[in-house]
Amino acid sequence: MVEHLGTPKAEFLASIRQALGRSAASPPVPPYPRLAESLADLEALERELRTRLETGRDARLEALAQTATQRGWNVKRAPNPEEALEYLSSVLTQLGVKRAVRSTEEVFQELAVDSTLHRPGIQMTIVARDETQPGETRPGETRSNKNHSGAALRQSMIDADIGITGADYAVAETGSVVVLPRAGLSRLVSLAPPVHLALVRPQDVVDTLDDLFLLRRLDYHRNGRDMGSYLNFITGPSRTADIEQTLVVGVHGPKEVHMVILG
Amino acid sequence: MPQVKTQDFFPASELSMQNAQLQEALKRAGTGFDGARQEAIAEVGHDIWEEWREEARQIKVHTLEHLDYYLELLTENVERAGGQVHFAKDAAQANAIVAELATSRGVRVAVKSKSMVSEELNLNEFLEQVGVEVYETDLGEYIIQLAGESPSHLVAPALHKTKEEVSQLLHQKLGVPLTDDIEAMARVARDVLRDKFFQAELGISGANFLVAETGTLVIITNEGNGRLCTSAPRIHIGITGMEKVIPSLQDLAVFLRLLPRSATGQPMTSYVSMISGPRRDNDEDGPEEFHLVLVDNGRTRLLADPDLRESLNCIRCGACLNICPVYQKVGGHAYGWVYPGPIGAVISPTLVGLKQAKDLPFASSLCGACREVCPVKINIPRMLLHQRHLLSESPDPAEKSVTLTESLLARLFTSLMSRPALLNTGRKLVRLLSRPWARNGIIRRAPLPPASRWTRQRDLPVLPQRSFRDLWKQELGSSEGISRTGASDTPSASESPVNRSQDG
Repeated sequence: MVEHLGTPKAEFLASIRQALGRSAASPPVPPYPRLAESLADLEALERELRTRLETGRDARLEALAQTATQRGWNVKRAPNPEEALEYLSSVLTQLGVKRAVRSTEEVFQELAVDSTLHRPGIQMTIVARDETQPGETRPGETRSNKNHSGAALRQSMIDADIGITGADYAVAETGSVVVLPRAGLSRLVSLAPPVHLALVRPQDVVDTLDDLFLLRRLDYHRNGRDMGSYLNFITGPSRTADIEQTLVVGVHGPKEVHMVILG
Repeated sequence: MPQVKTQDFFPASELSMQNAQLQEALKRAGTGFDGARQEAIAEVGHDIWEEWREEARQIKVHTLEHLDYYLELLTENVERAGGQVHFAKDAAQANAIVAELATSRGVRVAVKSKSMVSEELNLNEFLEQVGVEVYETDLGEYIIQLAGESPSHLVAPALHKTKEEVSQLLHQKLGVPLTDDIEAMARVARDVLRDKFFQAELGISGANFLVAETGTLVIITNEGNGRLCTSAPRIHIGITGMEKVIPSLQDLAVFLRLLPRSATGQPMTSYVSMISGPRRDNDEDGPEEFHLVLVDNGRTRLLADPDLRESLNCIRCGACLNICPVYQKVGGHAYGWVYPGPIGAVISPTLVGLKQAKDLPFASSLCGACREVCPVKINIPRMLLHQRHLLSESPDPAEKSVTLTESLLARLFTSLMSRPALLNTGRKLVRLLSRPWARNGIIRRAPLPPASRWTRQRDLPVLPQRSFRDLWKQELGSSEGISRTGASDTPSASESPVNRSQDG
């Protein structure tokens, strides 16, 4: 159901045209150069970008690690899966995690996180509405699915001590992890628990914001002009300086964040 | 419209100057934000920063010149993403739209992330009247909501409060123990609001930017409340000024580089959330409905005046407040409406009506610092002068800000300046008469009008012993090299004899 409240669009836009000194019937302006780019133009730019990203990977990961550290992430570069899991394990131990929640993403097929999470005393919830995901439920493990109530899933994320996610992208320029919507990834996994741990695959790291937005524009146009419902940049812990400009870390989002770079 | 007190800038600023607690809060805030901004820019490098500013300015200028086109494109793409767009020509209409959406869907509790436009509309009060409980969730906004006040800064709404005042407020309103631990105060807000996020049926946000190409609303935050407001409740309403639109997704990059650095000196905020419509079928969670309310509320008047149009470039970073000597002395509330500081002094008179804000164009020393720090290069001093011009030339006596005394003084001044001998005698006489009231060369309270009106808000320096004419005659008159035409090549300011003897 589409409803339009307030002033009709035509009337609203006509008053803007009038303010700009144009007649109400003036045709649309020739578009802005960036908007005039065709899919082929964007694809040419993409090829340049992919070529660039194929080289200098280690320097890129190092740049990401450095910037992310400055933005308040605890960064671990893990060249092999063992080191990544060892790091995860030490975080769990240090925090005394009792309840963990993780999303369902490709990275969890590459990295056997569950074997590390599956230890006595940890109740784990996997956000996995997509029932095609492999794996069977083990003791102490809850798998959300279409029958699982949304409220119970939400509660498990609110109660969790740590939320573990992958990353669709990471941006070296800003030290950010970028998450996009998908089945098996609640918006709350990286937001509601006091600690967030993000697993970053080397192939998902880009240099700049421009790189990221180019790739997203391409996806948008290839996807029948759908961006997906959201794109979130996460850059360090939640923070505020609203009282006397004094920094406090951890307000409504996680107060501690870990970035594990798998490379 | 909310309580507009823009007509009282001068009396309000006098009260602010006498308010010891406010002065303490302003002192503690000090130059923190601006210092951080300068460091962030130094890290980027001046030349690159200037390139970014120019790029951002050009994007804004282009978009505003074709605002109708981009709003049409934005609407098309928000609708394609499954959202709905509503247009509000004024505050009453904007409030009615949000209220209608809320009540028709049985909303009882709403959570809000920071939105200056909603302050402009007085939306909270309106929603409370139709039976919706509204919770501000940004820490600063939550504090001032508890206090029943309005924001005093674009980025740090509770800047006018000391931690002692905040602690006292939390103690009175929520019964928590008094503390001087700022972290503990923030934790109180987190604990109280956590339940509200999950109880609320409606989340309301503002927007820092709207991307026409993809129909995307962008919010830039640090606390995580913006993400929760737009993730947990069943309905999300974004409400913002119509000037926030930019053309393409790729135009966003430069603004993400400029805004956090200019606002708080952060190279990037903790969160940037880009929202395109409601949850899709495949999403795990998120709002089922997304509405975007685009507000005019006087903005077409800014758009229609070529001299004021660039004020719509503003990205609300607050850098001009943080550098302004007037803002730093009087704080945000003296400006009498939601938008304080230099940019407020420019846009408020047009948004609330010139005759209601006659003092605001004069709430500036025209030092030009605001223009230098503006990330989108808005020429604020030029527009303040333009507003002053409008006021002095207005045929409407209610708008005319220039009093008879001022007109007479201006005429007297003109006549004196064109008669050197008279000027010389005049200045000697004024100097002689003013000396008994001076201390260290400054008159703090002049006894008689018009000087006494001036000294109500400012100090008046005594005229120096030697006039510029005297200096010119003595020090430069003999040397024809630095001739009276001023045609000399490079007489640097520091070498100038006039400069050396300016205390004379």
